[in-house]
Amino acid sequence: MVRTSSMLNDIILQIRGVSKEFPGVKALDNVNLSIRKDEVHALVGENGAGKSTLIKILAGVYTRDEGEIIFENHPVIIHSPADSLRLGIKVVFQELALIPHMTVAENVFLESFPLKKNKAIDWDKMSQKTDEILKSIGLSISPKDKVNKLTVSQQQMVEIARALSHEAKLVVMDEPTSALTPKEIKFLFDVIRKLKTLDIGILYVTHKLEEVFELCDRVTVLRDGKLISSRNIKETNTDEVVKDMVGRSIKTLFPKTHVGKGKAVLSVENLSTEKKLKDINLKVHSGEVVGIFGLLGAGRTELAKAIFGLDAITEGNVFIDGQELRSGSTSHSTKMGLGLLTEDRKEEGLILQMSVAQNITLPSIKDFSTFGFIRRKLEAKSSNEFVQKLRIKTPSLRQKVMFLSGGNQQKVLLARWLMKKLKVIILDEPTRGIDVGAKAEIHRLIDELAKVGLAVIVMTSEMPELLGVSDNIFVMSDGRITGEFEKRSATQENILAAAIS
Amino acid sequence: MSILKRIFGVSEFGLLVSLVVIFSFFSISSKYFFTVRNISNILGQISLPLIAGVGFSILLISGEVDISIGSLQAVVALPLLVIMNATGSFLLGALAAILLGAAVGVINGLLVTKLKINSLITTLGMYYTLRGAVYLITKKVAIADDSESEIFFLIGNGKLYHFLPYSAILMFVILLFFIYIMKNTTYGRRIYAVGGNAEVARIMGINVERIKFSAFILCSILASVSAILLASRLGSANHLAGQGFEFQVVAAVILGGVSLSGGVGTLLGTFIGVFIIGIIQNGLGMMNVYTMWQLIITGVIIIMAVAIDELKKRHE
Repeated sequence: MVRTSSMLNDIILQIRGVSKEFPGVKALDNVNLSIRKDEVHALVGENGAGKSTLIKILAGVYTRDEGEIIFENHPVIIHSPADSLRLGIKVVFQELALIPHMTVAENVFLESFPLKKNKAIDWDKMSQKTDEILKSIGLSISPKDKVNKLTVSQQQMVEIARALSHEAKLVVMDEPTSALTPKEIKFLFDVIRKLKTLDIGILYVTHKLEEVFELCDRVTVLRDGKLISSRNIKETNTDEVVKDMVGRSIKTLFPKTHVGKGKAVLSVENLSTEKKLKDINLKVHSGEVVGIFGLLGAGRTELAKAIFGLDAITEGNVFIDGQELRSGSTSHSTKMGLGLLTEDRKEEGLILQMSVAQNITLPSIKDFSTFGFIRRKLEAKSSNEFVQKLRIKTPSLRQKVMFLSGGNQQKVLLARWLMKKLKVIILDEPTRGIDVGAKAEIHRLIDELAKVGLAVIVMTSEMPELLGVSDNIFVMSDGRITGEFEKRSATQENILAAAIS
Repeated sequence: MSILKRIFGVSEFGLLVSLVVIFSFFSISSKYFFTVRNISNILGQISLPLIAGVGFSILLISGEVDISIGSLQAVVALPLLVIMNATGSFLLGALAAILLGAAVGVINGLLVTKLKINSLITTLGMYYTLRGAVYLITKKVAIADDSESEIFFLIGNGKLYHFLPYSAILMFVILLFFIYIMKNTTYGRRIYAVGGNAEVARIMGINVERIKFSAFILCSILASVSAILLASRLGSANHLAGQGFEFQVVAAVILGGVSLSGGVGTLLGTFIGVFIIGIIQNGLGMMNVYTMWQLIITGVIIIMAVAIDELKKRHE
């Protein structure tokens, strides 16, 4: 009995039998979870496993249908984000909730400005308190800095500072490292460890298992809305967790069935742009996967956009099959057989209000029409084929694409370009924000693309992916190409050396 | 089951219910409302905002807006009447009106797509400029119709079998034609794509500027067609013609479910939206409600309808 009560005191949050249903989907099904006040608790699972639903319930965005939430030994009902904050729960979402034109101090104390006796805002106190908090987490920015002048990493720290100003007891972080550089990640981890010593519980939601094993004390796996396992990190390993996540063991994460390269299809010669790129030269052959690696800000996305004709080229040329592309004309690029899958699915990939079928056929709609009139049956039949082939999970072809999970949305985007019958495809971070199972499928599709003879460029910042999918590797740093490696000679060390040169 | 589901699933279903409710309400409240004569009148009345509303909706779906259509109505009536009076030919006059309308659409389109000026600002400027030009040219005196062209009179005032207004026939032809275009052609699909997310459309190889440009011209041309009908009703080119018309159209189109931010909406919805506002105004008139109350009631209904739609979306 004594032991139980002391354990109870250590536990800050307990979730018991929580369920949440949306029309047609049971997002959470009788989930249990407990978090101690001095641990970093990882929450992992594939997309659609229920992680987001769970943290949104904690944040007060959704309310649970069934079950109990016990916070500091009291059953609580969280109706709104304000309730959640009042209890001492602070959720740091991927999209940071800061007001860009306000100062750091204003953002930190946004919900409750310190007041003077006459109810006016006590600016001095606010500044001073913010400064204390910033120093306590080792962040060297001024409380008077405008938030929109800060880096993503610094903005994230402002959110954490906000949690501290509220004396939060539980901090939930949703994929916090997805936009950070390795150095910033290290700093974030230091801060998280510091929070732990302050008896703050941390729920850490992520896709990246290496982070789980570096940072966390326990790991809980969700799959299809159900709790699969909660284990101590010391007593488990990556294979076990992956198996829990996907419900099967992934044998070949990087299948490779495409063989040999054909003639050079895409060649980029001395390409420079005003913004970033300097003197880029590369060739991509049909049936070949070229990986382009670079850290954040190296110019990968800029290169993808410049080749495709979205950004203007100041010098140099891009050729497909010996024919020059018109800079700045995307319609010419697509006509020539070049496709681009952008990093940002929602802003630059999908048309969210349109249906699955309409999104798939968007660039190839001409193939389904005579004199501009769409043959809708043919369109439906063809898009259905791709939905089946790529195993896109959707209730129907007419479903709006916004309701699909991230992995399935990415497959819609790939289906789009597979249908178009391209010569060259550029994939910019094709597996960002996608769970392990879907990642393997995307990698299989990349292999498929090369197998049917496309020239494939994969831009990535993930080393395992780079080494896994590419036949040939280019490394970028500060807008230049700083290294080229054949698959055989490529190692993590020499790639990274080129990336930071 | 699946048929029922499809009917209920249609996004315009809620609107259709409102239409039926409002229609029934007036039919019960006024014995003059649900009569052949009045229905015929309503069809005639809605033909103007609907014809312009089709073009306006397409432009709005493409992600742009044109609030100069009221002033445009007044401007294009000038060449119509002047040329008709001079030559006696309605066709020549109508052609001139439509060409002038198209030219205004070209200017609006160029300013927005080439100079990248916000379309609300561009067409607000055009709204003032065109109205000023009409005042200047007419010196605030209406140009009356001396051509005695029968077609000109009939197109706005005549009725087939004393029931179906010719303007309503034109309205239905235009409506059905563009419903088909928006649903079944690559052009229609591109309008939705460009308005849904211009950046994505560009990556798909769609020439975003060209699509928007064409939508501006289309909107102006259809507004010019409605202007010809208006001139026929008035029997003149009047410097006050079309005042407030743009807002009447905006209201009906938004009520019909076309999104102000582009990419969403249907012409069937636009039709129902125009129809609802048409019968409200007509019905309140039948019930001898004062004009000021008519305006207030119309305003409240628009806000309510959009609010309900917003709540429904949130619920989903």
